[in-house]
Amino acid sequence: MKDNVVVRITEVKRFYQMGMVAVHALGGINLKVEKSEFVSIMGPSGCGKSTLMHIIGCLDRPTSGHVHLDEVDIDKLDDNELAAIRNKKVGFVFQTFNLLPKLKAIENVELPLIYAGVGLPARRKKATELLEIVGLKDRMYHRPSELSGGQSQRVAVARALANNPSIILADEPTGNLDSKSGEEIIRLFQELNSRGITLIIVTHDQEIANHGKRIIRLKDGLVVADDRVTARSR
Amino acid sequence: MMINLIDPLKIAYNSILSNKLRSLLTTLGVIIGVAAVITLVSMGEGAKSYILGQIGSWGLGANSLAIHPGKEEVALPELTLTYGDNEALRQKVGNLQYLMPEFVGRGRLVYGHREYQPAYTLAVSADYPFAYKQQAVVGRFFSRAEEEGRRHVVVIGRTVVDKLFGAYSPVGEKIKINGVGFTIIGILEEKGTLLFYNMDDIVLIPTTLAEQVLGVTKIWEIFLTVENEKDVPQAIIDIKKTLIARHRKEDFHIHTQQGLIDIINNILNALTAIVSAIAAISLLVGGIGIMNIMLVAVTERTREIGIRKAIGAKNRDIFLQFVFESILITMTGALFGIMIGTLAAWGIMYFLKMSAAIAWGAAYLACFVALLVGLFFGVYPAMRAARLDPVEALRFEV
Ligand SMILES: Nc1ncnc2c1ncn2[C@@H]1O[C@H](COP(=O)(O)OP(=O)(O)O)[C@@H](O)[C@H]1O
Ligand SMILES: [Mg+2]
Repeated sequence: MKDNVVVRITEVKRFYQMGMVAVHALGGINLKVEKSEFVSIMGPSGCGKSTLMHIIGCLDRPTSGHVHLDEVDIDKLDDNELAAIRNKKVGFVFQTFNLLPKLKAIENVELPLIYAGVGLPARRKKATELLEIVGLKDRMYHRPSELSGGQSQRVAVARALANNPSIILADEPTGNLDSKSGEEIIRLFQELNSRGITLIIVTHDQEIANHGKRIIRLKDGLVVADDRVTARSR
Repeated sequence: MMINLIDPLKIAYNSILSNKLRSLLTTLGVIIGVAAVITLVSMGEGAKSYILGQIGSWGLGANSLAIHPGKEEVALPELTLTYGDNEALRQKVGNLQYLMPEFVGRGRLVYGHREYQPAYTLAVSADYPFAYKQQAVVGRFFSRAEEEGRRHVVVIGRTVVDKLFGAYSPVGEKIKINGVGFTIIGILEEKGTLLFYNMDDIVLIPTTLAEQVLGVTKIWEIFLTVENEKDVPQAIIDIKKTLIARHRKEDFHIHTQQGLIDIINNILNALTAIVSAIAAISLLVGGIGIMNIMLVAVTERTREIGIRKAIGAKNRDIFLQFVFESILITMTGALFGIMIGTLAAWGIMYFLKMSAAIAWGAAYLACFVALLVGLFFGVYPAMRAARLDPVEALRFEV
């Protein structure tokens, strides 16, 4: 069903011009992610995972090829429209959390709502709900420096959820966490996924990847494997 | 779509608050420039009303004129006006109220074995108390009859009383001025200092004794008043006609109160222009400083910009955030400058025993100029911030 395709990547290439040489970060990727999928992307360092995530999330544009998000061809959009897509349709979660250190947890969660033009009372309410969902009701008015890594990452997840995005993109979300906190984040993702939220996460950890429903392996900017996670492999 | 200005403003405000000291130092140039202008303008307005008030209290109202020797005002003019001129004016000037020629000389006062030389010994007409609004508070002033009768009577100021007689009243006492005998008939009301002259350190004798006692035949100034302010233009015509007929040339000039106000205004305007130039330079330097700091801030906050863009900030949002930050910094500087300048003006004027006016006009102007400076010097850094590539910005390590 056409309506269910959230991400459609067609022959996407991304080169970086480094002086005389062109670095091929992505060498021609084809990928389709449907609604409510939970995809793990794996691969060695430098194989293009982050680059792919940036392109899916409209932070970056491919050198060639096509990207459709919710069946919208993003090639045709200008920078402002891309910003609006990032705001409304995409929720990013980063390895280093990327919270604004001077803002309280709740203010960090409100940020995407500010850029969406939501008024203060409505966004306070929404941010409070989201922090409740990620289990940080009692840490709403703490600054990131007063939160543990796991708590910070949960604030980041709440922020990613703020505008009810079509997809959550998490680039090594557990990379900076101890295994227990990492496990908690993954369980949070699973729970979100069970509510129908589409997720793509990048990870080096097979254990983590096994929590998803599908594993895509990249190597040198190309997809080398794309498998369903079976009950046995879990 | 309506542009939301409140949120970028709040973001900018919070970011300034989280960096108070640096924001304050950044805007020091603006603070100093604005404070300088506000101080001067506040003092200028206060000084002007003080001076005009003083002049008014000396009877130099809008219906008064002063004739000075010489084609124009110079420090030591050649004296050309005579008592004859004065008497001709008494006949010819329409609606004349008071006529007050003033001979200026040096008098050595001797009382018993005490001697004193006051700042001014003046030969004046009986109109003095009315023209200059300085009455004799003890005893009386001399009359026109005594003036015309060349009576040896003298009225002295409070300083002179203190120097020669101390506590006890000298009215009726006989003194010698430059060796000529006089009877003291009155003591002048205290007036204090007018434009740095101590007006209590004076001795007044009748005009008719100027030559005999002071050796002065030419008048320093003829001060006169007419019935009404609207008689002034006709009086000027009458004076010119009369004196030119007698002198065959215009070797005198006439001051009016308006002329005095013009002079004060000219001085104040010149001072304001100089200080404004200094302020403009300090605002320019301050503005460049702000641009510099904003460029540093953009670099420091590259990652923040990346994060904001990743979660949906448009280029315009980032641009507004940094421009507002720059404007808020300069406006805050202007407010501090206005406060400091006003306080400084009040302090100085309190010390000088005058009152300062709050320079509202200059304050509004300062805010407006600060806004322009913040805008002008904030645009380039804000554009740099807005144009950052989001992926590059996110990879940025401080
Ligand atoms: N801005 C850039 N300039 C040059 N090369 C880059 C840039 N970003 C990424 N690359 C290169 O592209 C390749 C893929 O990078 P990345 O997507 O970050 O890999 P991964 O996330 O899988 O470790 C790497 O070889 C990397 O060096
Ligand atoms: Mg990476």
